[in-house]
Amino acid sequence: MLRSFNWLDFESLLRGAVWTIVLCVTAGVAGTVLGLLLGIASSSPSRIARWVASTYVLIVRGIPLLVIVFFAYFGIPLMFPNVDLSAFLTAVIALTVFATAYLAEIFRGSINAVPRGQTEAAQALGLNYGRRLRFVVLPQAMRIAVPPGIGFLIALIKDSSLVTVIGFVELTHSGTIVSNLTAQPIITYSVVAVLYFVICYGVSRLGNWYENRSGPRREQPEAENPPAALQLEGV
Amino acid sequence: MITVKDLHKKFGSNEVLKGIDCHVDEQEVVCLIGPSGSGKSTFLRCLNGLEMATSGTIEVNGHTITDKKTNVNVVRQQVGMVFQHFNLFPHLKVVDNVMLAPVKVGKVSRDEARAKAAALLDKVGLRDKTNAYPGSLSGGQQQRVAIARALAMNPAVMLFDEPTSALDPEIVGEVLAVMKDLAREGMTMVVVTHEMGFAREVGDRAVFMDGGVIVEQGPPSQVFGNPQHTRTQNFLSKVL
Amino acid sequence: MTFYFGDLLPYSGQLAAALWTSVYITLIAMAVGSAFGVLLYVGKTGSNRVLRSVSWWYVEAFRNTPLLVQLYLIYFGLPELGVNLNPTWAGIVALTLNNAAYTAEIYRAGFEAVPHGLVEAGQALGMRRSQVFRHIELMPATRNVFPALTNQFILLFLASSIASIIGLPELMNAVLNINTETYRTFEILAVGGGLYFVVSLILSLASKAAESFFFRWGVSGRA
Repeated sequence: MLRSFNWLDFESLLRGAVWTIVLCVTAGVAGTVLGLLLGIASSSPSRIARWVASTYVLIVRGIPLLVIVFFAYFGIPLMFPNVDLSAFLTAVIALTVFATAYLAEIFRGSINAVPRGQTEAAQALGLNYGRRLRFVVLPQAMRIAVPPGIGFLIALIKDSSLVTVIGFVELTHSGTIVSNLTAQPIITYSVVAVLYFVICYGVSRLGNWYENRSGPRREQPEAENPPAALQLEGV
Repeated sequence: MITVKDLHKKFGSNEVLKGIDCHVDEQEVVCLIGPSGSGKSTFLRCLNGLEMATSGTIEVNGHTITDKKTNVNVVRQQVGMVFQHFNLFPHLKVVDNVMLAPVKVGKVSRDEARAKAAALLDKVGLRDKTNAYPGSLSGGQQQRVAIARALAMNPAVMLFDEPTSALDPEIVGEVLAVMKDLAREGMTMVVVTHEMGFAREVGDRAVFMDGGVIVEQGPPSQVFGNPQHTRTQNFLSKVL
Repeated sequence: MTFYFGDLLPYSGQLAAALWTSVYITLIAMAVGSAFGVLLYVGKTGSNRVLRSVSWWYVEAFRNTPLLVQLYLIYFGLPELGVNLNPTWAGIVALTLNNAAYTAEIYRAGFEAVPHGLVEAGQALGMRRSQVFRHIELMPATRNVFPALTNQFILLFLASSIASIIGLPELMNAVLNINTETYRTFEILAVGGGLYFVVSLILSLASKAAESFFFRWGVSGRA
């Protein structure tokens, strides 16, 4: 049965890589939506909303992703015996639960990073909470959230390898299958690693590109700070 | 004390200093004034080698700092610098901020450095903050500690880079008072400042810079009272 | 559906032992890995071109691939080269190598975050580069690095559960074994997750306390 690593194996690893991307995009989008809601909740004036959101975030961030994956894998069939969930959907649910918590924390931090003066200015203009959020705070918070969000997406791609334990054939699981067929784990898993590297490094380059595009962060060394008196003049 | 000849400084293709000639005598207080981006701070930073000149020569207290063979650290020990944002070392108590350079660079004994630090903190009126951390001080207090720190090396020249620009208006006075005392004691000082009152009252000479060159200089009474150049007149009409 | 934790009682000793295994493999990987991370950081920012490029590739390779794949390469791959590690050693080696890459980045970020004005103030006082590093940059950088390192410790502790997949007898592994013996799935996952949660919460609170104890100077105000 044993054969050596060949083009077909590479193809099946590539297919696994595509599934990894599909999985992460799905869970990433779902996690962004839910995470944004939780992030808004945890920075909202309502104490109950804040408590619910921060408790969720605290718990999920305090347990390993594997525990969540096994909860989804064993737990959903126990709770809903009539539902026949595919491995893909189980994986999506587990990763979404996980991503929601981390992204909620990123959104909360970004919302809090918008200067208080912005909220106050909007208040002074008579905007209510919802409008302040929608037109003033969130547009700025979203920009702040992009770099850490990209960082989390990379973590999610790597962590998605754990759903191999429930038998979903993503990149790592394809690697295991090929490795078992060829008995050449070094080459197989090296190719798997390179594929992950290409995806993750690509995403991080994309993040860098975005950051550079949104303008240089540092002031030029020769730029002198204008004195207060002149600053007033310029207004 | 300081002699600068045809100093040029470029950042990339951006020429910030376009040929500066300047001389500062011993015990002289020179105030550099001018609009933002005129190159005042860059000029000051060249004087102790924080920026390396692109061309030209700078001689400070007998050392040619623009000469590659000169040990810039030796020159810096004779030149005190005070920054706009204080730059106190946050992990060191006030007294240790003042003692650090004498002990580590000047190789002075700890006891001697401590006595000197106590005297300097007295001088700037902060003896009671000896064991405080910088983070617990107000901006004005931090800047006075920074002055004491710079004085601890017994410098021949003191450079001030907008020492009051980051301070609240009501605190500016306490820092200027310390600087006035220094001037009265005969310290050679080069001060980049937007405090025109200070320049007029304490300065021996006012130097107006704009666009990387010295436009006009002379006794403050003359530069402020009867500016010759239209650029100087424009600037002064805005800030006075 | 009913919950019954009584069936798990006989396994409490096994869980405790497994939890201890999780903690000590994390401790080893943290201690050795963060020391190795210093070397990587020094190599990455040093003047030697070859070392710089090797360290860069090491850090990027480990940070851009899953820990699980690194673990597979060590556990399944090394035997192909005649090196056989048992699951415990394979797990420790993988966690250590992985952790080193992350801590190297933490050190880099910590030193970059030291305000440049502090370095200039030291230079203006006539200090040599090494003196500026030792007396001025080191403590503020340590203060920057400390919370990131303790956070990394917690992440590493959670990540150590991944080693259960190759059969390292740590907490997650024990949880799965107990599940197949008792079929008390919800209960054992809740207990296992709870243990991870409690330990990471304790670590996080302890690190906050240690931070405010060690870095009192950094609590109020800026430099």
